[in-house]
Amino acid sequence: MKIFFPLIITFVLFILYSCEKTITITPPSYTSKPSIQGMLEPDSVPVIYFNRTVPYFDPKVSFASLVIRNATVQITSTSGTDVLRLDSSYDKLYCQYNYYYKGNIPVQLNNQYTLSITNGADTYTATASTSNLTKSVIDSTAFTAKFNDLYGEHEGVIVYFKDIPTQANYYRYEMARYVDTSTKLASAKIASVCLGRDSVWVHEIGRSVYSDAGQPGQQIKIVIEPAYSHTAGTRGLIYIQTIDKNAFDFFDQLDKQKLAQFNPFVEPVFLRDGQFGSKAVGYFSAMVKSIPVNYVYPE
Amino acid sequence: MKNIILSLLLVLGLTVSAQKITVSGYVKDGITKEALIGATVVNANTKTGTSTNQYGFFSLTVPVADTIEILISYQGYKLQAKKIVAKENLQLDVLLDNANNNLGEVVVTAGRNNRNVQKAQMGVIDVPIKAIKNLPVLMGERDVLKIIQLLPGVQGGQEGTTGFYVRGGNLDQNLVQLDEATVYNPNHLFGLFSTFNVNSINHVQLIKGGFPAEYGGRLSSILNITMKEGNKAKYQTEGGIGLLSANLTFQGPIQKNKSSFIISARRSYIDLLLKPFTSKSTAYRFYDLNAKMNYELGKKDHLYFSFFKGNDNAGYTGANSFNYHTDFGNTTATFRWNHLLGSKIFSNTSLVYNDYHLGLGTTQNNYYEVLYTGIKDINAKTDFTYTPNSKHKIKAGITYTYHTLYPAAVSAKIPRRGNQITINKDSITKRPSNEFAFYAADDYDVSKTFSLNYGVRIPLFTSSGITYTAIEPRVTAKISLNPTTSIKASWTQMNQFLHSVPNSTASLPTDIWLSSSAKVKPQQSSQIAVGLFKNFKDNSIEASAEIYYKTMNNQVLFKEGSQIVLSTNLDSILTFGNGKSYGLELFVKKNFGRLTGWASYTLSKTTQHFPELNRGTEFPASFDRRHNLSLAGSYELSKHWTFSADFVFYTGRAFTLPAGRITVPVNGSLYDGVYYDFTSRNNARFRNYHRLDVSFSNKKVVKFWGKKYEREWVFGAYNLYSRLNPYFVYLTTNADTKQPEARQVSLLPIIPSVSFNFKF
Repeated sequence: MKIFFPLIITFVLFILYSCEKTITITPPSYTSKPSIQGMLEPDSVPVIYFNRTVPYFDPKVSFASLVIRNATVQITSTSGTDVLRLDSSYDKLYCQYNYYYKGNIPVQLNNQYTLSITNGADTYTATASTSNLTKSVIDSTAFTAKFNDLYGEHEGVIVYFKDIPTQANYYRYEMARYVDTSTKLASAKIASVCLGRDSVWVHEIGRSVYSDAGQPGQQIKIVIEPAYSHTAGTRGLIYIQTIDKNAFDFFDQLDKQKLAQFNPFVEPVFLRDGQFGSKAVGYFSAMVKSIPVNYVYPE
Repeated sequence: MKNIILSLLLVLGLTVSAQKITVSGYVKDGITKEALIGATVVNANTKTGTSTNQYGFFSLTVPVADTIEILISYQGYKLQAKKIVAKENLQLDVLLDNANNNLGEVVVTAGRNNRNVQKAQMGVIDVPIKAIKNLPVLMGERDVLKIIQLLPGVQGGQEGTTGFYVRGGNLDQNLVQLDEATVYNPNHLFGLFSTFNVNSINHVQLIKGGFPAEYGGRLSSILNITMKEGNKAKYQTEGGIGLLSANLTFQGPIQKNKSSFIISARRSYIDLLLKPFTSKSTAYRFYDLNAKMNYELGKKDHLYFSFFKGNDNAGYTGANSFNYHTDFGNTTATFRWNHLLGSKIFSNTSLVYNDYHLGLGTTQNNYYEVLYTGIKDINAKTDFTYTPNSKHKIKAGITYTYHTLYPAAVSAKIPRRGNQITINKDSITKRPSNEFAFYAADDYDVSKTFSLNYGVRIPLFTSSGITYTAIEPRVTAKISLNPTTSIKASWTQMNQFLHSVPNSTASLPTDIWLSSSAKVKPQQSSQIAVGLFKNFKDNSIEASAEIYYKTMNNQVLFKEGSQIVLSTNLDSILTFGNGKSYGLELFVKKNFGRLTGWASYTLSKTTQHFPELNRGTEFPASFDRRHNLSLAGSYELSKHWTFSADFVFYTGRAFTLPAGRITVPVNGSLYDGVYYDFTSRNNARFRNYHRLDVSFSNKKVVKFWGKKYEREWVFGAYNLYSRLNPYFVYLTTNADTKQPEARQVSLLPIIPSVSFNFKF
């Protein structure tokens, strides 16, 4: 027993405390390609994000290092051709500049838009339409402290809205509200050194997108897990975005892929070729927002 | 039914020559009267021979002669020559003497034969129990499956996972049988040890190609484990105390030389010893119990009853918020009746029951999965072996199994508050199914240089109104170039009606067993293999080179992005495709002398093609490993000391790594704005796996209270140079640099061990 006991202890120390270390993996070969993201919204000027994808372990993480500069970005419609210019805005929440190409001609309803991006010898084109987008109407909102879905048990903002009949529709949730350093994003406190005591107006976008398949013209109920923490009395404006199919397909894939990234029991999701084929990832879409409703968190 | 089978056998059989007689009987250990499986019985006059079956029985047809010499040999036993008067049919029971206590020249001449070269079978490896008992042990536990993983064409999973992979087949494609009962999960502690207590095992055989028609239901391998019958001559006790567990085996006669029993038990005690030092969430215990009894009703009838029960219960907390709790186990019971119809027909009828369950709750990265999978089988079968003459050995049989599967799983994010979802196993929908099979095969020595084993198996499976049937041809041919050299070729087709669906991302065995249904079609394989077999130095060294090509249809994986919720119809989240594997296997084995052991090397490639995965293009299977090298050896340093070592090297397993990173501006979303650009599935590899294990054992016969007993000390080290082999890899983002990084979790560094074994 004198021999056995120390050996058993040694064994247990080995077996119970697995060794973990950061490793260098020979990355698979990867050719960077453009990532194009643009959501047209009537009465707003178009904004197109034109960045490059990078090898997974590439050190470049900020938009400043990912943006593709010197590209020619144009959006053509019956209103004319809008040449978008590289612009930036400072994001106090993340302490970084966001870079995008911004146009001058506001987007109109019931119009057809063609995006054309030329970067060196490569050209990327896609179209989006604001013709079949109708604002949905939010009927009511509520709050639940306990809700179960694919993401587990969580609290939720409940939104009831009417589907627009006679056409296929796709929806997404948005809440506009103020956040500050006392707010938590998911479970982590916002650690922005740029924010100081200020508050910042954010647009909280729901991670899931919804199709009206099987329930045309009916009332739809969605339950959203809030991204930001709240207390009783926290206020926000809730919108329902009516988005087109291209945006729905793109964000639906992202949603499923994120679920697979976080949940080790879900098989990885490959992004399928979209509007730009295999040359680029992303979407060029359009959306309209519902009339917002005021929302006050009860707890 | 018996009459039909007999008639068929007679139709298949050839007319027995009037100038021939049959010598039949059993070959047994001279001391324990334990059946010797695979012992060689040869007519020295004609050089024709046979080998004993699973019960030690043989039947050999010889020409009538005044006297003939029969040579009986078995590895590790002294060769025995019997001169008999061959005038009429004769029962010959042979007791062989163990050559264990001798070293050098005496052993060199004992038990050598060239059956591995001359028999029309390939892809079949008999694993000597001696090798299992001599090779290094992990934490003092001798292990059958660890030895199996050192054979050519076989590879282990990564550390901490169960099972073994054979010729590009998934884990579920191996049929592991203990006394004919299926053991669905033959592991303790997630693959670190097998559930089989070596002290209770008589024989181990792995079949990885050239499958005889009597076997079916799996695509890639059959691992046959036969329990000891028990010492028929005297009571015997043996046991061992290791770091992790202790075991005790008791065997002896019920009625001397007629019936016997063996009971063997093993239990880990680490949970008891370490209770004061570990948290409630970290605990581990397992136990297993083997029991067998047999009774000779007369010269023609023999009854056997075997029972096995093994169970694991573990809880663990580790890296990356990784923890699990599991409870799994197997229970099997086998009742068998051997009956001799004359001296040429041997029959066995079995009733088998097995019950397997795996309950697993695991969390990783703030998500959890709970699964329960249960399988209950009731099986009845009867087999006949008919030896009409020295050229033919005909086998036929029929089997029926009633399966009941009850799988359920759920996965979700850990709730911020409240309870996780649980599974009530009593409320799981049961999936019953029926599996029938009929087979017939002939082992035919066409000429002195050409032999053929040909047969057919016809399975039939029904479940929920769906019926699947197939015809599975099995052919193995051998051409002898000389007494020590032969070329063999085989072609086999197999069907599999039960499927374990693997999760490619989880680091734990979260496989779920499902039966075939309207949507889940039976897996099918077709395998061809060609090999060159050569023995050297008076058959003391066996060498072989085999190449194989295997195609596998209706393989099953989970669809991309499928998260299982309790209401999910599991069939609906599956996707189906094909696989193929090809490779070269080299094997050299030295069976005799002070140095024994083997070297094996496998060069192989295994790919899969699923229309709904990897954008419809072919990809490497997650268990595809290009190189697989194993060296295993044992050297008798002196009369008492033996040194053993094994070394393994294999290419790291494949996993899916995002090749690119896409930044998507998402404003305030629950998710960060980084997405993956996957270019292909299983496009990256873990680090290569290699490990060296060593052990020294000291065996002596000593006196204790005036009575002699054998005692053995075994000192060993697993993973001697403490290679940190990968258990799993996960991706994360460095909180400071915001850079993506990969982190590897390893389980087992060097682990020293000491164990004490005794026998009296």
